[in-house]
Amino acid sequence: MKRSIAMFVSFFVCALLLAGCWSKKELPDLAFVIAVGLDKTEDGRYLASFQVVNPGNVAGATQRGGGAAGVPVSMYTSTGDTLVEASRKASKKLSRILYYGHTNLVVISEEVAREGLNDVFDAVERNHQFRPTAQLVIAHGHSAKEVLSVLTPIDKISANQIIKTLEFSEMSRGQTINTDVWGAIRGLTSSGRNTVVTGVVIEGNPQQGKRQTNVQSSVPDARISLDGLALFKKDRLVRWVNGSTERGVLWVLDRIKQTNITIPWNGKKEAIGYRTVRVKTEVKPQWKKGRPSILVHIQTEGDISEAYVPIRLDDYRQLFQLEKAIGRDIEREVKQAIETAQHEKTDVFGFGEAVHRAHPRLWKRIKKEWDDRYFPHLQVTVKVDAYIRRTGLRNTPYIK
Amino acid sequence: MEHSKINMRQLFVLIVLFEHGSAIVIPLGVSAKQDVWIAILLGLALGLLLFLVYERLFHYYPDQPLTSYVTHIVGKPLGKLLAVLYITYFFYIAARVLRDFGELLLTFAYPETPLFVLNALMAMTVMYSAYKGIEVLARTGELLYTLLQILAVVGFILVIASGVVDLTQLQPVLEEGWKRVWKTVFTETLYVPFGEMIVFTMLFPYLNRPEKARRAAVAGMVLTGINLAIIMAVNTAVLGADEVSRSSFPLLDTIRRIQVAHFLERLDVFFMIALIIGGFFKVSIFFYAGVVGVAHVFGFSNHQRLVYPFGALVLLWSVAMASNYVEHIHEGLKIVTFYLHIPLQIIIPVLLLVIAAIRRRFGSSAK
Repeated sequence: MKRSIAMFVSFFVCALLLAGCWSKKELPDLAFVIAVGLDKTEDGRYLASFQVVNPGNVAGATQRGGGAAGVPVSMYTSTGDTLVEASRKASKKLSRILYYGHTNLVVISEEVAREGLNDVFDAVERNHQFRPTAQLVIAHGHSAKEVLSVLTPIDKISANQIIKTLEFSEMSRGQTINTDVWGAIRGLTSSGRNTVVTGVVIEGNPQQGKRQTNVQSSVPDARISLDGLALFKKDRLVRWVNGSTERGVLWVLDRIKQTNITIPWNGKKEAIGYRTVRVKTEVKPQWKKGRPSILVHIQTEGDISEAYVPIRLDDYRQLFQLEKAIGRDIEREVKQAIETAQHEKTDVFGFGEAVHRAHPRLWKRIKKEWDDRYFPHLQVTVKVDAYIRRTGLRNTPYIK
Repeated sequence: MEHSKINMRQLFVLIVLFEHGSAIVIPLGVSAKQDVWIAILLGLALGLLLFLVYERLFHYYPDQPLTSYVTHIVGKPLGKLLAVLYITYFFYIAARVLRDFGELLLTFAYPETPLFVLNALMAMTVMYSAYKGIEVLARTGELLYTLLQILAVVGFILVIASGVVDLTQLQPVLEEGWKRVWKTVFTETLYVPFGEMIVFTMLFPYLNRPEKARRAAVAGMVLTGINLAIIMAVNTAVLGADEVSRSSFPLLDTIRRIQVAHFLERLDVFFMIALIIGGFFKVSIFFYAGVVGVAHVFGFSNHQRLVYPFGALVLLWSVAMASNYVEHIHEGLKIVTFYLHIPLQIIIPVLLLVIAAIRRRFGSSAK
């Protein structure tokens, strides 16, 4: 008898406790916020936009092979003095609880970025739902709300589209950079490194982009595209860079995996293309006559990807000359990027951190004035060793 | 006193689980910034010396726990007083670790659950294992040790594979010289977790081959010390010294950074399992030592009757000891270190050893 009572009690206790229903939230009661956008309203408050997944429309669309009725994501906006306040206010418009465990993207408008990011990230870092691995982009030209409103054709959820574009673009083109929230916070706290964030723009008409018709056309009315790098100084955006300067920044940061460089040859512009396969950049700090200086050493290996001038690519001496020309081209890009950053007095390359590691005592003395006094006049030597390993399936091009 | 026996492997496992305990999840020794791993290794070295003191005492009185041989060393009235002091200390640390455990779970997983409920669940498990005795705890340890090791290895591989480790963040080594490192050793890493080995003086009488105790215990401590140093070094290399020192749970942040091939991510559960296993053993061992101590000092033949009242005491104490997490941590790092750890882990055991050695020499020459 005693035994059966004990059995009953323990069974009952298990059933009660193991189910773990203390603060249960059913799946249909949660709104999965996949991206957060941040703008400023005219009266200086934050306008937060939440891109929420419409689960039915996303799953249904893939199963039925496209053409589902509804839109895959829905946007909610609210204003507040802080991000948390705005998030709480959004619940007025929403029949579900906002859930941030799957937030993978944070879009910040240029306006907010120029005013400073210090008031943004603490809530993100402190909250246990939010992941610091969420990617960060800056909306360039349009507001963050407009960027998140655009519907995208291939990846139904536009936040995923932006994240994947970021990732593959860095891998294959080498002109954009994946910065996550964690990396941005690191830039805010370090005195020897500033943050670099990729920008997104809308190509086309953002008003049309919101409609389902946008994805029913092979040429959408509005597309999201990555464009430019935002250079930050502490928490403020100070400058956009594009094109080869943009790539110059990434060379120094050792973030280039593959990219294509076109160099002139024999008076013809854009004559020979070089595709990198492996890139390694080392930043070596030196200390000469009481002043720090930096040596940037870039090593790249790659192949010839195209050649539109008569050139004997089966001659190794010719390749050595080409290697030098490619090296000079990369050096030019890098110097351009460094000069731009020095002009803006922001050390986005982490040169300060390199000096800190090598000369901790001296760093302590110059740390406070690094960005404004030492970095702009820093002597930087750039050394590029480019290697051409192969020329592809052809040696000499058909142009004779 | 119960007549259970634990073998050397079980002792080793218990020590490893106990020492990992809460040390892997809390920001251990972070005031040394990027040199935290050096501080942990130095803490280990000094902790081993300290352990030799405890081991020598045990060597003098191989069949008694700390709470009964103190009366042989310093006489009955003072000995009893010291014994009660140690018992209180063990219960207090048990309550403290229980609170750590509850606070950690509340912060990142169960923000809406009352602290008392989480602590009560853990306390019930701890009381049950203490009721069953040290042998059951040791066998449970053997099972869970394997699980913890697998998690550690898998977690380590995943952190490396996700490419977030940046060893340059461990530089510059010894930026502020040795002073900062030693200061961390003497204010933090020596006492938690290494000095806490004092609690094993209560368990040594249960060993089946006491002469081998030193080898097993030293091996367990060294393994833990190296593990902890690696974990904190990886935390620093992944997060950077600044974020580690601002983080409530550096290991959790490191695990949250894992992203391998877009599907091996969000492995927070690794952290949960490590926390629960480690917390359970740390609380259980302190609690068991306290209960056995009470049984010895007050002459109970069976410790089992004491488990539930003292369990309730520890549970209530854990909830009442501080009004918030910050106060709890402040007490743990500043007050407990100076008023409890230093006297009870270092000063009293060393004095006891000196007195015991003098008595022994004096006694043998008198014969």
